[in-house]
Amino acid sequence: MEFASNITLSALFQQVLVGLSKTTILFIVASGLSLILGVLRIPNVAHGSLYMIGAFLTYTVAMFLGGGSTGFWLALILAPIGVGLVSIIIERGLFCHLYEREHLMLLLFTFAFTLVFGDLVKLVWGSDYRSISAPEIFQGSFSVMGLPFPRYNLFLLVIGPLVALGLWLLTNKTKIGKISRAAAVDREMVGAVGINVSWVFCFVFVIGCVLAGLGGALVAPTQNITQGMDHTIIIEAFLIVIIGGLGNMWGAVLGALIFGLTDSIGILVWPQFAIVFPYTAVVIVLVFFPRGLLKSTW
Amino acid sequence: MKKACLAVTVLFCFFILLFIYPLSSDARPIKVGIIDCYSGPASTYTNDVRDAFKLAVDKINAKGGVLGRKIEFTTRDSKFKVDIGLSAAKELIMRENVDILMGTINSALALGISDLCKKEKLPFFATFSKSAKITGAKGHRYVFSMTENTALAGKAGAVGLAKRPYVKYWIAGDDYEYGHAIADGVWNNLKQLKPEVKLLGQSWWKVGEPDFTPYITAILSAKPDAVIIATGGRDCVPFLKAAQATGFNKRMPFFMHTATELSTLKPLGLNAPEGVIGTSNYHFFYPDTPENNSFVKEFKNVYGRVPKVGALYGYITANFIIKGYEKAGKVNSEKLIDAIEGMTIDSPIGNLTLRAYDHQVMFPMYMGVTTKVPGYDFLMVKDLVTLPGKDVMPTIAEIKKARGK
Repeated sequence: MEFASNITLSALFQQVLVGLSKTTILFIVASGLSLILGVLRIPNVAHGSLYMIGAFLTYTVAMFLGGGSTGFWLALILAPIGVGLVSIIIERGLFCHLYEREHLMLLLFTFAFTLVFGDLVKLVWGSDYRSISAPEIFQGSFSVMGLPFPRYNLFLLVIGPLVALGLWLLTNKTKIGKISRAAAVDREMVGAVGINVSWVFCFVFVIGCVLAGLGGALVAPTQNITQGMDHTIIIEAFLIVIIGGLGNMWGAVLGALIFGLTDSIGILVWPQFAIVFPYTAVVIVLVFFPRGLLKSTW
Repeated sequence: MKKACLAVTVLFCFFILLFIYPLSSDARPIKVGIIDCYSGPASTYTNDVRDAFKLAVDKINAKGGVLGRKIEFTTRDSKFKVDIGLSAAKELIMRENVDILMGTINSALALGISDLCKKEKLPFFATFSKSAKITGAKGHRYVFSMTENTALAGKAGAVGLAKRPYVKYWIAGDDYEYGHAIADGVWNNLKQLKPEVKLLGQSWWKVGEPDFTPYITAILSAKPDAVIIATGGRDCVPFLKAAQATGFNKRMPFFMHTATELSTLKPLGLNAPEGVIGTSNYHFFYPDTPENNSFVKEFKNVYGRVPKVGALYGYITANFIIKGYEKAGKVNSEKLIDAIEGMTIDSPIGNLTLRAYDHQVMFPMYMGVTTKVPGYDFLMVKDLVTLPGKDVMPTIAEIKKARGK
């Protein structure tokens, strides 16, 4: 009955903008997952947990510094670093011994980590909802063609391309980036020319996890920081990586765009059944491109 | 010789135990089994139920218990899963021999335990599950609801909204049982109370939806007069956050059951939207009566925090059990049920009656609007209106209809 009942140009434009800011978070998390998947061949189910830890760390740092703007900005830097430290420990301590195992083993292993992290978060932060505010300059909204657009979402729209650019520079213009791309294609060959593949893997793993932490930190002011936020994101991130092409960073961009935009436009077009839009898009993509839209590194 | 001595001593001790055991079992404590979700986000609600229950039980035990018997309770974590909760319920009944079961914030589990208790003929006090089916369509002699439900909340929302001038509505909510039940409850009652209302459209999102901004902007472009938000539990906080970020509350009035509850407002701090219309069963500052103030003080002394709505549910559950056994004069399930049917007890929010027909506690509902109050680092509620229990309860005729009679 209310199919496409309230679509106006301004509303559509608005939905696209809002959808793009959601895309930012999805892209940041999915690109980390994709990086680890592409280079290390680990389907890291615990990626969502690291995103959750990133959000909780943001809360802790921001609250420790009084909950104001400076607290948030520092948290935005410190929380991903904290997640990075956690990831160094688990990579050096555990993962680095398991790279030769088959995927199913690694999948189960990382799944075990989601359970461990889930309980750890409960032990450390308890089960109450946590929430932090966006820094003052990004609070509230401004009008775009008569409809409100939250300032914080504008900030996300700026951050997204910056992270994409940074990742591109890292993987294409730096030596370690080039090595890691080579390791993704043929890890034995890279080892054979005298490069310590194990440390390259560690580096990539940490970068991927820092991205998860950054995603968690960025999302913290817009939603509830609570247990369970890991499950939601990990499913979406995996879908994005799959439709984009496993291990392909631009695939993550494309997948996140498809997922984020179909979601927000679906809400406008057919609000009662909005939930199915992004998943239908995933199905359509997979029917026509079973290996993902862009070239997968697998 | 030594061995024989030892054997005799052991045998002797064994016989003593054998004799003492039946004696002591006569004054065996009354056992209550609590099954609830103590892990995950739901525990912010369920911990208060347990803690306030303990508060009331400790008080009566210090006075020597009920009918000379102490009340003991054991908890089991259902992890929000029906199968885990149900097997815990069976274990509590068979191994722990509990006299009473209570708990669960999960409606599906509450209905499952209710069914089990009907077969076992054991009283079950549902403390936080909001499904109207518990005392409605699926109600029976052994189940009691110690909390408001979707029928009550829906009717309360409708009664409150009908007094306001809005005509064009939009409904949005969690796409599951609770969301739809609340939305239907509000809407069906509102249509009866004010036939000119019009529904422009609906949006439904998945439970645990992280970002509500796209939903809000879509609703704004439809330009209704007011919005009914049928979301509960953990989705309330992110929704209000998105409402604050988009200025939704300033552009459009919206009603959300539990928006005025402390569990929702506290995590948001001062950065929460003002002017949101909400309903709740309990506020630590309202009603401002000596009973409520002393309950808040007592709770705060023991646990170092102010009680949330769950505390009221836990506290009255304990009191219905205590008063029920006292009235029954005997620890017997059937006698207890006869005793508490239609019983009225004192509570922090005044007298509460358990309706005899459907075993639903007749809660008043407080409707108010969120506001900032100096001295608090979270939003408070103003313009509180009490919607008395008898006005917001579904009628017995409606319950009979739901039960197919």
